[in-house]
Amino acid sequence: MDIVDTFSYAWGGIKLRKLRAALTTLGIVIGIAAIVALLSLGEGFRIVITSQFERGFALDVLTVTAGRGLLANIISGSGSEEYLTLNDTYTIDEIAGVRQATATLSKSIGLSIGNKTYTVTVVGINFTEYSTIYSTSFLLENDSIPLNPSNDSIILGYRLHDPWKNGTILVRVGDYINLTWTTGSITKPIVKRYTFHVAGVLKEIGGISIFGPSDIQAYIPITTAQEIFETDQVSQIQVQLVSSEQRTIDSVTDSIKNIYGDKVTVVSPSAMLNAFSSILSTVQLLLAGLAGISLLVAGIGIMNIMIVSVIERTREIGILKSLGMKNKTVMIIFLCEAALIGLVGAAIGIVFGLGLSNFVTNFVFPLIGNGTNQSNGQGNRVVSNITPVLTPTVCIGAFFFGIATSVLFALYPAWRASKLKPVEALRYE
Amino acid sequence: MALIVQTINLQKTYMLGKVPVNALRGVNLEVESGDFVAVVGPSGSGKSTLLNLIGALDKPTEGKVIIDGVDVSTLNEDELAELRRRVGFVFQFFNLIPRLTASENVELPLAIAGVKKRQRKEKTADLLKAVGLSERAGHNPTELSGGEQQRVAIARALANNPRFLLLDEPTGNIDSKTADILISLLKRLNEERGVTIIMITHDPNIARQAKHIVHILDGRIVDDASSMGGGS
Repeated sequence: MDIVDTFSYAWGGIKLRKLRAALTTLGIVIGIAAIVALLSLGEGFRIVITSQFERGFALDVLTVTAGRGLLANIISGSGSEEYLTLNDTYTIDEIAGVRQATATLSKSIGLSIGNKTYTVTVVGINFTEYSTIYSTSFLLENDSIPLNPSNDSIILGYRLHDPWKNGTILVRVGDYINLTWTTGSITKPIVKRYTFHVAGVLKEIGGISIFGPSDIQAYIPITTAQEIFETDQVSQIQVQLVSSEQRTIDSVTDSIKNIYGDKVTVVSPSAMLNAFSSILSTVQLLLAGLAGISLLVAGIGIMNIMIVSVIERTREIGILKSLGMKNKTVMIIFLCEAALIGLVGAAIGIVFGLGLSNFVTNFVFPLIGNGTNQSNGQGNRVVSNITPVLTPTVCIGAFFFGIATSVLFALYPAWRASKLKPVEALRYE
Repeated sequence: MALIVQTINLQKTYMLGKVPVNALRGVNLEVESGDFVAVVGPSGSGKSTLLNLIGALDKPTEGKVIIDGVDVSTLNEDELAELRRRVGFVFQFFNLIPRLTASENVELPLAIAGVKKRQRKEKTADLLKAVGLSERAGHNPTELSGGEQQRVAIARALANNPRFLLLDEPTGNIDSKTADILISLLKRLNEERGVTIIMITHDPNIARQAKHIVHILDGRIVDDASSMGGGS
């Protein structure tokens, strides 16, 4: 029996029980739709996140932190005993391939405007060095960065100036604002207040920033920061390289490692992006795996229905065998029935999944994004920017996965059908 | 005349629950090409068992079935399937596939044997014409009378130019007038086309139409009237 005849015979078998076939197909539709929706949303999310990161990133800047990195410090439960100081900037400046190194010191601090206090991250920087390194993003709205700032100068990120982006200005250039730094123990807190003069507001950067300038941070001279926080440490050293080539990144990273050993962690933005991207991929895969459970259930449904179908059609199988059909052909017919169900189910499922993800981005995400919690502004912006992306790989993969699942779960029933003895099958009532 | 079917000391034992039932107890039968044999005997005498063994639908407990000089017991599953394509089976309950039309039912064994579509269509039309059902080709079995269904079954059995036809009580479920038409069809096929026929029946009038009659009782041949044809 040739393949066309086999498929048309299988199709006849499906048509015989339309409702049953439709319900079995529905299982596959749901499974594939879930996978496609989650993967295309995940892909959309990944694209938004990476593009946001890329906007805030300078690819030629390495970040050096003390210890084995943030994650390692969290895992080991103790803060790092190693620390960096301003002097380390000079050491790093000497390394070949380094254009300039600058230290930053950042802390969460209370910022009082009017009678309201907001918690923001204040970063102590060297204005000259910092604005050289981040020359494309560390820019003022309509002025240039003061290169010799007074000790009480503060530069605000755009969203501290205009948090709701509707013209409700919270603070302007020239205003004075209060910073509140709480120190001491939990039981006996010592609250210190400092008054700063707003020297400028940054142009809106957009995106999410980890190491570079950000819309939601405030910047003060690093010497002032060290005074306020009573430390000679710095949080990070940003190292600008002569080029963003991987070769330069590697050689400078190696040189820093040679000097400090395991006492510091060097992160390059590209490595960071890759790491982030791979985390997102893993999460995506996990989501797809969860969706896969529904496909598993659908597969079991197919198996169940096929077993019933084989029992019901025992006599038909007997007839086919008495007419000289080979066992493997009997098996192939039942596998073809499953494949057809999988094919139709997967095709509909892909369309449904894409529809579902579009529905979610158009109708569900805006509901989340409408929350007016300005401290969470970045996250909402990310969510409302997501457009589902269905890559050809996912599309083709989902298609074949749907068919494969159906066929896989039909293997046992089909095998059972092929093993029926002709005489007994013909006698079956 | 060439020997087309031969059974040697054919035995078949079934297990009915835990009780063994000896359906066949040593049957020696020889059928020559172009013969028309009627196998008669009461219910439970082992007629159907014999037919199933000759048609390679079942395996004997003891003894041999030799078709066209080939010992059936030496064949594997696939070879048995191919052998069945050269045997035309007609069952008491027709065993047509309900969801297929008359012509699709006739076409089915041709499709199974891998015959090309166009040849299949021609052959199917010829066969339906031969059994007088050309006008009913597009009807499903449920829309056909018992006699018509049985004629479709015969057309189907003839599709692959079988070496012989095996009929298991072909007139058992149709009225006597239709049965007469059917038997004359069989006789015509036997005489004009030289189709070898082995037919089970318990109706003596039907059996008399055959060239030879084999009587079976309790799993044994008791009176092989085909002895004049050179049987055992």
